[in-house]
Amino acid sequence: MKKLKFIILFLLVVLISCERDDICAETTPTTPRLLVEFYDVNEQEDLKPVTRLTAYGEGLADNPTNDNTEGTLIYNTNSTSLELPLIIGNEGEITTSRFILEKDTNLRLDENVNTNSNIDVVEIAYETEFVYVSRACGYKSIFKNIQLSFDTSDDGAWISGIELIDTVEIVENENTVHVRILH
Amino acid sequence: MYASCIKSIIILLLFSTIVIAQDKKKTVKDTLIYKQKYGLRLGADISKLARTFFDDDYTGVEIMGDYRLTKRIYLAGELGNEEYTLENEVLSNTTKGSYFKGGIDLNFYKNWLDMENMIYVGFRGGASTFIQTLNNYSIYNVYNQYWNEQFNVEEGTEFSGLTAIWAEIIVGIKAELFNNFYAGINAQLKGLITETAPDNFENLYIPGFNRTYDSGRFGVGFGFNLSYLVPIFKKDKVVVQEKEEE
Repeated sequence: MKKLKFIILFLLVVLISCERDDICAETTPTTPRLLVEFYDVNEQEDLKPVTRLTAYGEGLADNPTNDNTEGTLIYNTNSTSLELPLIIGNEGEITTSRFILEKDTNLRLDENVNTNSNIDVVEIAYETEFVYVSRACGYKSIFKNIQLSFDTSDDGAWISGIELIDTVEIVENENTVHVRILH
Repeated sequence: MYASCIKSIIILLLFSTIVIAQDKKKTVKDTLIYKQKYGLRLGADISKLARTFFDDDYTGVEIMGDYRLTKRIYLAGELGNEEYTLENEVLSNTTKGSYFKGGIDLNFYKNWLDMENMIYVGFRGGASTFIQTLNNYSIYNVYNQYWNEQFNVEEGTEFSGLTAIWAEIIVGIKAELFNNFYAGINAQLKGLITETAPDNFENLYIPGFNRTYDSGRFGVGFGFNLSYLVPIFKKDKVVVQEKEEE
């Protein structure tokens, strides 16, 4: 009988103390962003900050100002890195995300009409693949077959090159930087 | 998760002490003989029927049987079929399948006189074959509000031919309510031994094993059953009573 009491208690304790895995913890790696770093085109091993960078998804903001920075990922800041959330599309289809990268934002904002900022557009085309995470988080998306390009909507592009880092074939987590932009 | 379990078990061990006290008196022995019924006890799990009735996401039935081998040992088994739909913010999954559990029950209860109740510990091996259908799911993306999109996959995927094998410890009671008619409750602790998991998904619910946990290979369950004993033969139970000498 004593053994039995012990087993009943054991069962109760196990039931009470071991539960709660139906909330997706913030620390669980789910869909990654595309991590970008800016390098010097002349010294390709060296990071080089972009002066007064503003970045946003195409169509999500329009010439943001100090009063309205809604939709921007980064606003009017010197920066060596950028995190881009990609649009999730159907599996096996090519999806494209376009981002506006505006250099020298301060030149557009200031009083001087003779100087202006330099706006380039970065285009990322890729395929999604959905990977199971857990019952609480469901599935995440990873990105493969990434194609990178840039173009400009004004006189000259400030970007001189954009490339995937050699070791990155699939964007599946945020542990490493995925893309280098040379300027 | 494990750490908290182990901690609670240690605390439990600390508080479980054994006290033995005995009085010695001169006694004489008096022998009584009772007839004990042996046979096949058949029943069904009423909790699963009730849940089928009240829970829209669940349909299940379980029949159980045991056969008394000796005074204390029973051969026991359960056969069941379940369908369960798990639905949360990120996915909806339906599991459908059958299971069988077989093993023994050991009665630890010393019955008075001619009573035949049980407080028992049971051991089972369980096996299940089932199908999981992932009805729909969404892609978890903490940054998806940036593009103002939530990507959902609505087309269902069926994963068939799934199996699982587990071991189980049961603690329960069975009491004779009236002639040959028993009611019982029990709690089950299960440990998964092996499973075939679907590609790029996992077994969220296993019929007979119940829901699985991310933290380990353990599962739990409980049952409430009603059963009827079909008596096949009778055996004498010899009770030696000790009476105080006058």
